[in-house]
Amino acid sequence: MKRKIGRLALTLLLSFSTVLSACSGGSNEAGDSVSGDGKVTLSFWTLFDGGDGANMQTLVDEFNKSHPDIEVKNTKLAWGEYYTKLVTAVGNGNGPDIGISHSSRLPDLINQGVVTELDTPATDAGVDWNTYNQNLLDAVTVEGQHYAVPIDTHPFIMFYNKKLLKDAGLLGEDGKPILEQSADGFVSFLQTLKEKLPAKTTPFALSNNNDDPYRLWWSLYSQLGGNDVVSDDLKSAAIDKEKGIKAADYVQKLYTEGYIKKNDPDFYKNFQSGTAAIIMTGVWTTGTWESTKGLEFGAMPIPKFYDKEATWGDSHTIVLPLTKDEDPAKRKAAMIFADWVADNGQVWAKAGHIPSKPSVLEKQEFKDLPYRSDYSEVASVVKFSKHSTKNAQIRDEAAFKFLNEVWMNKMTPADAMNNMETAIQKILSE
Amino acid sequence: MKIKKMRADLQALVFLLPFLIIYGLFTIWPMIKGVEMTFYKWTLIKKMDFVGLDNFRKVFLDREVWEAIWHSTFFVFLSTPTMIILAILLALIANRKSSLQKFYRIIFFIPSVLSVAVAAYLGLFVFQPYTGFVNSFLHLVQLLPQNAEIFWLTETGLAWVVITVITLWWTVGFNFILYLSAMQEIPDEIYEAARLDGASDTQIFWRITLPYLNPLTKTITMLQIIASYKVFMQIYVITGGGPLDQTRPIIQLIYQTGFKNNNLGYAATMSYILFVILLVLSALQYWMTNRKGAEY
Repeated sequence: MKRKIGRLALTLLLSFSTVLSACSGGSNEAGDSVSGDGKVTLSFWTLFDGGDGANMQTLVDEFNKSHPDIEVKNTKLAWGEYYTKLVTAVGNGNGPDIGISHSSRLPDLINQGVVTELDTPATDAGVDWNTYNQNLLDAVTVEGQHYAVPIDTHPFIMFYNKKLLKDAGLLGEDGKPILEQSADGFVSFLQTLKEKLPAKTTPFALSNNNDDPYRLWWSLYSQLGGNDVVSDDLKSAAIDKEKGIKAADYVQKLYTEGYIKKNDPDFYKNFQSGTAAIIMTGVWTTGTWESTKGLEFGAMPIPKFYDKEATWGDSHTIVLPLTKDEDPAKRKAAMIFADWVADNGQVWAKAGHIPSKPSVLEKQEFKDLPYRSDYSEVASVVKFSKHSTKNAQIRDEAAFKFLNEVWMNKMTPADAMNNMETAIQKILSE
Repeated sequence: MKIKKMRADLQALVFLLPFLIIYGLFTIWPMIKGVEMTFYKWTLIKKMDFVGLDNFRKVFLDREVWEAIWHSTFFVFLSTPTMIILAILLALIANRKSSLQKFYRIIFFIPSVLSVAVAAYLGLFVFQPYTGFVNSFLHLVQLLPQNAEIFWLTETGLAWVVITVITLWWTVGFNFILYLSAMQEIPDEIYEAARLDGASDTQIFWRITLPYLNPLTKTITMLQIIASYKVFMQIYVITGGGPLDQTRPIIQLIYQTGFKNNNLGYAATMSYILFVILLVLSALQYWMTNRKGAEY
């Protein structure tokens, strides 16, 4: 009996200790930095799926082939959980050597100590910052220090269905829309589309909430000269309400006057199936439209509605998360990789993104990609958010929330701006 | 004798040990840690500043928190009684002697094997304007004009209806099975005796079946209240808490605060408020059921 109990206890203990060790140990995916043959191994976390994911994998494979002394291991994480996973992993010392961040999320990651500045390894790796687009570089520079290597910008642009525009008599000889670049010009353009096209056709495909109408509002607000929604010291709400109202009012009318389909359940599909004349969204959809059979489309910057050219945009950037050892050899290798990815932006551009290095735009391989050159100049007029750590929260809990009500015609633009101001102030003072 | 007893105790302990360790590690320890969190400004990465009772003071003044708690409470009121009535009705249907008995059991139970995300996405498709089944059906039977659409998901009131309907459809199967087995345990002689005395079907239901189910109903009510307070996933998928956060439950606010806005201390404080609410409700329920003793 005694022996039986003893054996039982032992078995239990053993099985239990395996459970425990599975919980505590492991997960050091970073692995050892330098293996026997002097090769540097880098773990790389990305959030790309679909075409983006495939293009990044191509870049990683190419890089590994051409750099025998460095090996990058790509781990794809789900978009929705990426940032939470990155932050918690870095927090308990199991973060990757290289990561991806949107430039809008960068201030938050810097503030939490998740990512480090990278000027020293960049110098070691011979990165020349002058080869990057200055506008994109500014978005990743805080107090004179670089925190990320931008690999692209993905702005909000306009796509149009050539066939439908032609039917409405709005397609020029050059294959570009006949469109007067002004607020009124755009409305009369939509009006013509509405009159000339069959009733089932949507003049302007746009979602009815969240991202895309917000992006349009942000673009108009910036074109009017509106200066972000937070003050320069990032401590208080600073919406230029008059301009914000004007922009919101303009977008609201596009909905209420029926240029945009009400509550469109899938506005991407609407454009893709050829039942919408134009769509405004991010450049990342270029690849999708291209692979759609029978869709003849064109791409262009969004019109210049007001005084100055501007549009919404964000950037994918490569960052160096804080690691336990901060091995200089790894950090240098990571910078070599990041700069190489930016240099080979023509591969990354396949999904539609605009490469971060102007030199890539001159490459024949890039020029051979259709559409991209039609909007690549937008990179310099993208209006990025200020370096606030609360960007994502402000967007989701202040801007989306009240602007959505405006698009549904349940709140006046003026009320929305007042509510937004209060909400932003609350978020900032937390 | 004594040695035997000790041995038995030891044996019990050995069997209990794995459970106790896991329970301690994954329940007790996090709960203690959670209490600690409420006194700090705590990000996903690290403990920041000690703030004392500041988080609690803030919770009581925060309208968003009380709104979200109200939304969860509202959902409890919407879903719990309807759930119980529906489960009893379905059990009555399936309990009748008929050749369809097995069929009923299967179709009533099937939705509960789906994961919540699948159930919620199915609901989303069904209630979508333009393309969804519900509006198309209404068009077909001409209850809705051809060029009009009902926007189920973006009007607060309708969104609550959709959330409740999907939740009922998805979870009623489990309670249905419980009721069905309870009904089958009611002795046939009692029904026979009642019939001999000339009781009608309605009388039998109210006077015999329902009282017999009482203990079960009490348990289900409690479990259902707790489950409904924890509602999150289906709302997150169907409305995302909108419009204007009018369908956002407290769990979603806790999730947002902790994992999106990076304020674990404050999120932990909200969790403890919810914990206290549930504790009070459970205590109340326990007190009420034990006051009278068994009823049948």
